[in-house]
Amino acid sequence: MPKTSIRTNNLSKTYDNKTVVSNVSINLPYGGIFGVLGKNGAGKTTFLAMLMGLITPSEGEIFIFDKSLKFHKYEILKNINFQSPYVDLPKKITVMENLIFYARLYDVKNKKKKILQLSEDLFIKDFLNNIYGTLSSGQKTRVNLCKALLNDPKLLLLDEPTASLDVSTSEFIRKYIRNFQKKNNSTILITSHDLEEIEKLCSHIILLEKGKIKFDGKKNELFKQNKSSSLKDIFLKDDK
Amino acid sequence: MINRILALLIRYKNISFGSFPRLLSIFYWPTVQILFWGYFTNFFMSNESFGIWSALNIILSAVVLWDVLFRGQLGLTMSFFEELWSRNLPNLFITPLKDIEMVYGLILISFIRTLIGITPAVFFANYFFDFHLFELGLYLIFLFLNLIIFGWSIGFIVSGLVLRYGQAFEELAWAIIFIILPFSCVYYPLDSLPNIVQDIALFLPTVHIFETMRFILIENKIVSHNVFIIIFLNLFYLILSILFFLRMIFVARKRGLLFNQGE
Repeated sequence: MPKTSIRTNNLSKTYDNKTVVSNVSINLPYGGIFGVLGKNGAGKTTFLAMLMGLITPSEGEIFIFDKSLKFHKYEILKNINFQSPYVDLPKKITVMENLIFYARLYDVKNKKKKILQLSEDLFIKDFLNNIYGTLSSGQKTRVNLCKALLNDPKLLLLDEPTASLDVSTSEFIRKYIRNFQKKNNSTILITSHDLEEIEKLCSHIILLEKGKIKFDGKKNELFKQNKSSSLKDIFLKDDK
Repeated sequence: MINRILALLIRYKNISFGSFPRLLSIFYWPTVQILFWGYFTNFFMSNESFGIWSALNIILSAVVLWDVLFRGQLGLTMSFFEELWSRNLPNLFITPLKDIEMVYGLILISFIRTLIGITPAVFFANYFFDFHLFELGLYLIFLFLNLIIFGWSIGFIVSGLVLRYGQAFEELAWAIIFIILPFSCVYYPLDSLPNIVQDIALFLPTVHIFETMRFILIENKIVSHNVFIIIFLNLFYLILSILFFLRMIFVARKRGLLFNQGE
């Protein structure tokens, strides 16, 4: 088992002289649920995208499972997956066709069996043959989560996994994520605007502010440091 | 009321003139139409000895073969655009899929789409007009392959531009083929064009392909010199366009564009 899941050294991203992520160095152990918090424009999504190789860093290094992302990209990507409400699947084909396609890309063995098993867990079995574009946003989120779990990722990156979902669907997703982590001992990195969600799911928090790390450590330490009992209080205090 | 109409007018003005490709398409279409039909008429007026059936055979062959190029290019760009429109690119690029594998995938799907698209056209031309494209024999395969390859080259350039510069360039997917149409000498020979335009047109493989087609249909022969030029130009453009497309993916990663694409 690798010692670390994610290690970054002075990671920075600059667009046209505007720094979005600045000298971010983190060292996350293998296994666990970690939260990345920050206000709009704090650099959360850019940070996540760099970890997946979707955005090339301007400076710094990324190591996933102790291997350099730059030199072992495709080997690492086999064990990563991602879900975001801002990223979608082709709308004109069925849910099953979409999932089979990704199962092929990840070289999943027994594709249909895996999809059927996940679709039962995520309650999407009834609409596997429906056209993806006709699904509701809650159904789409569960299909996307199914896509993200196809390869049993050792590192799962979730960008606002419950954005715009109703309370019961959000709770279902959170429960599922927690169980998945326990069962697979994988590493899950979540960004969310829902502070309560991060509080419920994550033991370790990375707080970004204007692209820089403001805090990186245990949730309880953050509360202690800020003399608060909730993330909401910390954020509101910051605004004042 | 005037204010509301004015608001609409400004809005449509911004949409229509807001980007260079859209602006170009407004100016370009009427010019292309005039040039194309002008050269076409010139050619047939100066070749009155041409029997109507010979002329029809040449025109129909050209129509079908031109469509091969169009289908080849559209098959590639539309497949890529589907990923863009559905905001699926990040999902794709975080899989172990390599950029070059995407290139192979696009080429193959374009080939299949073109075959499916062109088969009914050939059938109808054969059935209704007693037109036999297969009279071109094995040369037909050569012409077909080279046209589709040039379609891929154009497709990769357009896809790369859209990835880099956004959806304003999508119009090019439909327009670019017709931009090169008058200079490709599809329905008239190269010498119908003014001398200076001829010099530029010679860099297009399509000119040599359609000259070859006409030569086969009229003289039942092929000029080997032309064959080499077609292969050389096509390989050159295909390699160049693939390198351009790969470079645009690299730039998109650098500029964070893969996340911001979609409808």
